[in-house]
Amino acid sequence: MSPRTRIGRVVALGSQVSLSVWFVLPLVPVLLWAAARSWTFPHALPEEWGLSGAAAALADGAASAFVSSFILGLMTAALATPAGAMAAYALTFGRIRHERRISLLLLAPVFVPPFVIVMGANVALLRLHVPSSVGLALVLMVTAIPYTTFVMRSAFASYDTGIEEDARTLGAHPLHVLLRIRIPMLSGALTASAFLAFLVGWSDYVITLLIGGGQFVTVPIRVAAAASGTGNEALVAALSVAAAAPPLLLLLTLNVMSRHRSLWRRKAAEPQAAAIFPLIGANS
Amino acid sequence: MTASLHLTDVSRTHEGAPTPVFTGLELHVASGAAIAILGPSGSGKTTILRLIAGLDTPDTGDIRINGASVLARPPEQRGIAMLAQRPRLFPHMSVLDNVAFGPLMTGAPRREARRQAEQYLDLVQLPGLARRRPSTLSGGQQQRVALARALAASPAVLLLDEPFSALDPSLRADMHQLLLELRALLQPTIVLVTHDHQEAVLLADTIAVLIDGQLQQQGTARQLYEQPASITVSRFLGCLNEIPGKLVSGCHVSALGHFPVPQAEHMPDGPATLVIRQEAVRLVDPTSTAATVIGWVERMVSLGARSLVEVATTTGPLFAEAPPGQIFGSGDMVGMVFPTEQCVLLPDPVMCRGVRGSALLAGRRSNPGSRSRHLAPESTWAER
Repeated sequence: MSPRTRIGRVVALGSQVSLSVWFVLPLVPVLLWAAARSWTFPHALPEEWGLSGAAAALADGAASAFVSSFILGLMTAALATPAGAMAAYALTFGRIRHERRISLLLLAPVFVPPFVIVMGANVALLRLHVPSSVGLALVLMVTAIPYTTFVMRSAFASYDTGIEEDARTLGAHPLHVLLRIRIPMLSGALTASAFLAFLVGWSDYVITLLIGGGQFVTVPIRVAAAASGTGNEALVAALSVAAAAPPLLLLLTLNVMSRHRSLWRRKAAEPQAAAIFPLIGANS
Repeated sequence: MTASLHLTDVSRTHEGAPTPVFTGLELHVASGAAIAILGPSGSGKTTILRLIAGLDTPDTGDIRINGASVLARPPEQRGIAMLAQRPRLFPHMSVLDNVAFGPLMTGAPRREARRQAEQYLDLVQLPGLARRRPSTLSGGQQQRVALARALAASPAVLLLDEPFSALDPSLRADMHQLLLELRALLQPTIVLVTHDHQEAVLLADTIAVLIDGQLQQQGTARQLYEQPASITVSRFLGCLNEIPGKLVSGCHVSALGHFPVPQAEHMPDGPATLVIRQEAVRLVDPTSTAATVIGWVERMVSLGARSLVEVATTTGPLFAEAPPGQIFGSGDMVGMVFPTEQCVLLPDPVMCRGVRGSALLAGRRSNPGSRSRHLAPESTWAER
């Protein structure tokens, strides 16, 4: 091995370790706090272990917040995934005027601060007498669409519509083509995009607070309230761990599923799943 | 299942294109017949298949399958199946389910569709691969599965769009043989699009030559090679010898002199080009009385077993194919024999002498299916 290669390897390894520490380190105190009964200065570790934080969180209504967040995540995924897929399909294969401007508009929720959108949307929705639950679903969908559109556009870029034409000539009705060819072939990208949309709904704070008008007490709202009010670090830590666990579990499940799929898809000419999952780190 | 196919006065201009792909196209295929549409890239061959399949719509004209117009029918209701250059198998389905797709879509229960699929996999000699995923098959196997998938849909008309051009020569020969066997067994009407002369000759009953959106000639391979309708067709089919001149009382008069052409007796006098395929020209001793033309060997290019000999004559370069063992050196004097029955007189006006030479060379370069192979860079000069 040449000295340059050796130095390169050391630098690469060093970067990997530093990044891992950078990501994992903030989680360590949270995990410790979640399992601490008592932890006072100057002790490096909790003096007493226990699940009092989790118990306090449950007593504080964590379960219902959990359900609310889950519903919100699923709702956002259910709305933003098909919307993003359709937008991506139109932008890739349709003959659309002002394609660049429309792409930019669809990306707007990413680079416009959320409260700007929320304040404007809130006024409009109130004036139009739209129920807050419907309004919340609509605004969350809009904020998730940039992600779903982006994922689906890269999937469609490598999608050969000729395969759909073959299916048509073999006797398949357009609906059969959609259900038996397009959706199964794009399942990897659709899953990735649904996952991203779920995360938008699951972890949202500003939109849920303002548009939901306090009716929807989700995990992030519960965490924020606990963090700013009680001073009970164990409670805040338990809520935070609870907030992080479902997405992580979902990610792991998707990863396993995607690995299982890739056993028979490895050589197939459908790079979209492989191209998408690295985006969310689900398919290394 | 089989059906007749008729394209009448079909025109198509792609959106935004300045010129039509073709206008007034007429194509008639009898039930159970196989026609090859032969033409260079960009001549509109694939567009014809897409129009028949219903994947594209003609601007004018009618397409009838078994006598009924299919223009209003979507692709899935036309009774056709298409096999393209790439197999495009459904990657998320097993080989068996790929083949069963057609029967399943036409209403067969899954079990029955799979049973039929197994039969078609047997037909394409891939019985053991039913449970495999397409991605685990070789290119040749994938194309066989694609053929089985197309046939399993029981198409009345089978459309083949350069289906074997991506395969290596030995696999291609296997696929040709397989297609011939399946054709004898199932007798679908076949429309094959190709730029490969040999493939067209081998697989089709008749050949339609499509160049620049014009159907130049339609006939059997023998008719096309022995009686090309125009200089364009003759050139496309790889004929290298064109001798411009005029016809005077059944005699072709050119820089080479007077050459009697019996089959031209009924043609009116006027400008005419004498065309003879290089394969038909024999090379003899220059002193032989049989020699039609005498010239000097310019060069000799190996075609494998045979060689292409370029001979400089008073009318410019002429070409002949020499059999194995007949070897000439550059500058040798040779006699060329033009068998009268192989000569064709075409009324097309040909450009003046010098320009024709360069046009011929340009044709060789731009037409990979025919003349280019004679002057391929890897060809070696034969030395005595």
